[in-house]
Amino acid sequence: QVWQAGKRQASRAFSLYANIDILRPYFDVEPAQVRARLLESMIPVKMVNFPQKIAGELYGPLMLVFTLVAILLHGMKTSDTIIREGTLMGTAIGTCFGYWLGVSSFIYFLAYLCNAQITMVQMLSLLGYGLFGHCITLFVTYNIHFHSLFYIFWLGVGGLSTLRMVAVLVSRTVGHTQRLILCGTLAALHMLFLLYLHFAYHKVVEGILDTLEGPNMPPFQRVARDIPVVSNALVNTTAKAAALTL
Amino acid sequence: MSNFEQFYSDFYQSNYTIDNQEEGYSSYRSNENLYGSEKSPLGDQPQADTFIPSEMHLSSQSYYTGQILQPTYSPNTLSYIGYGDSFDDEPPLLEELGINFDHIWQKTLTVLNPMKPADGSIMNETDLTGPIVFCLALGATLLLAGKVHFSYVYGMSAIGCLAMYMLLNLMSNTGVSHGCVASVLGYCLLPIVILSGSAVVFSLQGTLGTLLALLVVGWCSLSASKIFTSALAMEGQQLLIAYPCALLYGLFALLTVF
Repeated sequence: QVWQAGKRQASRAFSLYANIDILRPYFDVEPAQVRARLLESMIPVKMVNFPQKIAGELYGPLMLVFTLVAILLHGMKTSDTIIREGTLMGTAIGTCFGYWLGVSSFIYFLAYLCNAQITMVQMLSLLGYGLFGHCITLFVTYNIHFHSLFYIFWLGVGGLSTLRMVAVLVSRTVGHTQRLILCGTLAALHMLFLLYLHFAYHKVVEGILDTLEGPNMPPFQRVARDIPVVSNALVNTTAKAAALTL
Repeated sequence: MSNFEQFYSDFYQSNYTIDNQEEGYSSYRSNENLYGSEKSPLGDQPQADTFIPSEMHLSSQSYYTGQILQPTYSPNTLSYIGYGDSFDDEPPLLEELGINFDHIWQKTLTVLNPMKPADGSIMNETDLTGPIVFCLALGATLLLAGKVHFSYVYGMSAIGCLAMYMLLNLMSNTGVSHGCVASVLGYCLLPIVILSGSAVVFSLQGTLGTLLALLVVGWCSLSASKIFTSALAMEGQQLLIAYPCALLYGLFALLTVF
């Protein structure tokens, strides 16, 4: 009896294993390859006439999404962000994985409409490697709090990775309107996501300015900040100085 | 049942476990003590030699000739002897539970010294006592620092084990079992316990604390990836295994520091 139950469980486990096996060829990478692809994701290649090669692997993108989750968590912890409904970990994982899977599927759907030659795995891989720029930007700007630095990084690093993805998609699409739709959507979503991540999860200075100016600024729905009363005096002067420099 | 044990224990398709288990049974038959079987005559060593990979150091060979019976073996051995045995013929409690303090100590030393190359045979037996002790120790040291985070520790270790299990199955040629992954990840949690122990004495939220946390995370992930690559024969991919381990232990460090 026990043996039969064990056998049934083993066969169920094996069928689950067989499903995972489909993804096996996408994880067969060497460290040198991953490093090369990470660096390539920041270099736009202007080859428009011939479809550019996209590496269809999932290890790099998956690790980059997890790194983004870790960076978000670190940023939220250092800025004492409080999420009212839900947990910090759940929000971070939901945001990052939601962006990666959701936007990939959406762009894949648009690519299907615009007749672009790209498969789902390639799209996941492309967008995943595009998150490398996001990781760098957020890692730097969560620790060094200058707004102008963030904007420079947003345009420079974010722009580079967006340009790379756009160039790849342009090389794989025919027709000006289709190229415009596809690349415009992807560029907008990618850059706006970086902006959202910076402002929604690590806004210590602006939170302080909010409480100082009173209820004129519209409140953010999801995050609230508790500023300790003790450090208000010290923080007043620094915030005013920061407001003047901005 | 014994077939499953062999399937999950043989990472490099050797007969190591079969012969050792037979030998263990015969040594049990002669009513030797558990620790007495560790100091078994030198006749054991040549046999163990042939099954151990050549890159092992000489010093670690003597440690793994100890025969420890898995708990599932006790019903089999009892059925051989018969149920009407006297009290003297029953195996000692630790042997029946499968807890071998010497092996636990050896694995702990392997984790604490990431520069020393590990042999692949230490993960032949799935041992969860060490990991559970380390998780409890982490919870206890966190408690000493004023944070009651037992649920987070257990939740994150369970989800981390599941994720590493899936990743390792996808990346390795031979598969792994849940127990092996849980065992390795649990043992490599020891430096994090040391970090949270030091958090009791001084606060980790400054520069020194961040540096210490980074060092500890690197230490943990280096040990874990070293053990995984030696057990699964994936030498070129140690960095690729180390990175997800570093992310997981980084989460634990985040829990300890903040």
